[in-house]
Amino acid sequence: MLRSCAARLRTLGALRGPPGGRRLPGREPRPALRSFSSEEVILKDYSVPNPSWNKDLRLLFDQFMKKCEDGSWKRLPSYKRIPAEKIQDFKTHLLDPKLVKEEQMSQTQLFTRSFDDGLGFEYVMFYSDVEKRMVCLFQGGPYLEGPPGFVHGGAIATIIDSTVGMCALMAGGVVVTANLNINYKRPIPLCSVVMINSQLDKVEGRKFFVSCNVQSVDEQTLYSEATSIFIKLNPAKSLT
Amino acid sequence: MIRRGFQVAARLGHHRRLLGAPRILPRLNPASAFGSSTDSMFSRFLPEKTELKDDALPNASWCLDMLCLYQEFLEKTKSSGWIKLPSFKSNGDHIGLNPPSGLAVSSDKGDCRIFTRCIQVEGQGFEYVIFFQPSKKKSVCLFQPGPYLEGPPGFTHSGSLAAMMDETFSKTAFLAGEGVFTLSFNIRFKNLIPMSSLVVMDIEVGKIEDQKLYMSCITHSRDQQTVYTNSSGVFLQLQLEEESPQ
Repeated sequence: MLRSCAARLRTLGALRGPPGGRRLPGREPRPALRSFSSEEVILKDYSVPNPSWNKDLRLLFDQFMKKCEDGSWKRLPSYKRIPAEKIQDFKTHLLDPKLVKEEQMSQTQLFTRSFDDGLGFEYVMFYSDVEKRMVCLFQGGPYLEGPPGFVHGGAIATIIDSTVGMCALMAGGVVVTANLNINYKRPIPLCSVVMINSQLDKVEGRKFFVSCNVQSVDEQTLYSEATSIFIKLNPAKSLT
Repeated sequence: MIRRGFQVAARLGHHRRLLGAPRILPRLNPASAFGSSTDSMFSRFLPEKTELKDDALPNASWCLDMLCLYQEFLEKTKSSGWIKLPSFKSNGDHIGLNPPSGLAVSSDKGDCRIFTRCIQVEGQGFEYVIFFQPSKKKSVCLFQPGPYLEGPPGFTHSGSLAAMMDETFSKTAFLAGEGVFTLSFNIRFKNLIPMSSLVVMDIEVGKIEDQKLYMSCITHSRDQQTVYTNSSGVFLQLQLEEESPQ
């Protein structure tokens, strides 16, 4: 159990913008080593098809977009950086705001969006509030390599962590990862598409139990399974 | 998609016949880091002469804590049988070996990169170096997460931490016993890691049995006052094959 002095939070899912985001024209500049309008970086929604998406990913995307038509599912937009008001929200939950260095925050990027198109994580998440399910469609690019030709176990852990984290966050608001447990069944070939199906299993007090499996597009191959526990925090309160 | 999938049972059976049971790996002479000249795994992994760029060397982005600890461990490579592992852009550069035929995927993807060297801009992604002690089957990873590894605002993405752990487990498992694929991974998170601070990972190989390597890891601050995570990992041993002419 956590008894830390700095609360650990997951605010990745707190990025709720209008569906589709507000697109700005032109390509955005790459590394944030010079200052530019942070708005340009924040507003581009990455959870939409781009030329690097292969056929499987596009097909699945279309299938899930159809499910969104009646409102039972919704697509989550995904940005490179968290908007300023959400950072404030995070800080009210943090016990030691001094740990967050202001000048660094303007240079940071969400890890899973720190790659050019097609090279790293290409993914989109869909959520069903009724079923408490978060589905992530994921295509792992060549910069995620582990054993030659396969996706790195750590990259798989990253996308699983992002997916179950979002699922817990949708259900519980500001939550902290306490535990992540992954079983790898088969290696995932680079540049193939997989579906991460996560489910909120139960809630016990402030504990949220989320499990997921990682499957092939046709659901015939199981690549990995994972379970996780998240803890909901009270604003600016210690865990003990 | 590989139809054959990953038939562990069949593969293990095949290897048991090849390797005999129990599997005895070449023992390393603790007095010398490389052991006998027949220890081809080490010499292949740690080439004495190479033109490949070693990313596990200090650069301007390394914080003071990281530089200090790096120096400490460098001293240990001279006196206490530790080895500094080089880090190349792709796993293929390290090993030059393939997974067993039947598993290997033809990689026409062009420029592949090992995940933990995906961001090559100095200081922005994973800055790390791994030291390994063959006699005790222990390793230490000095890790400094850069601003492109953000999760919660101002803190490191837990996925990037998991990735660094898996990578260190992976290199340790390979050198300690030809561990190749992650079978399972369990992480208990204790504290958030501020961006660009030093994280020290202590990894130990526990038992090796049934073609599996069991490892544990504690990640903590330099002064050991703050524990960030406790984790464990299990890797599958696989005999790799010589690279066939392409």
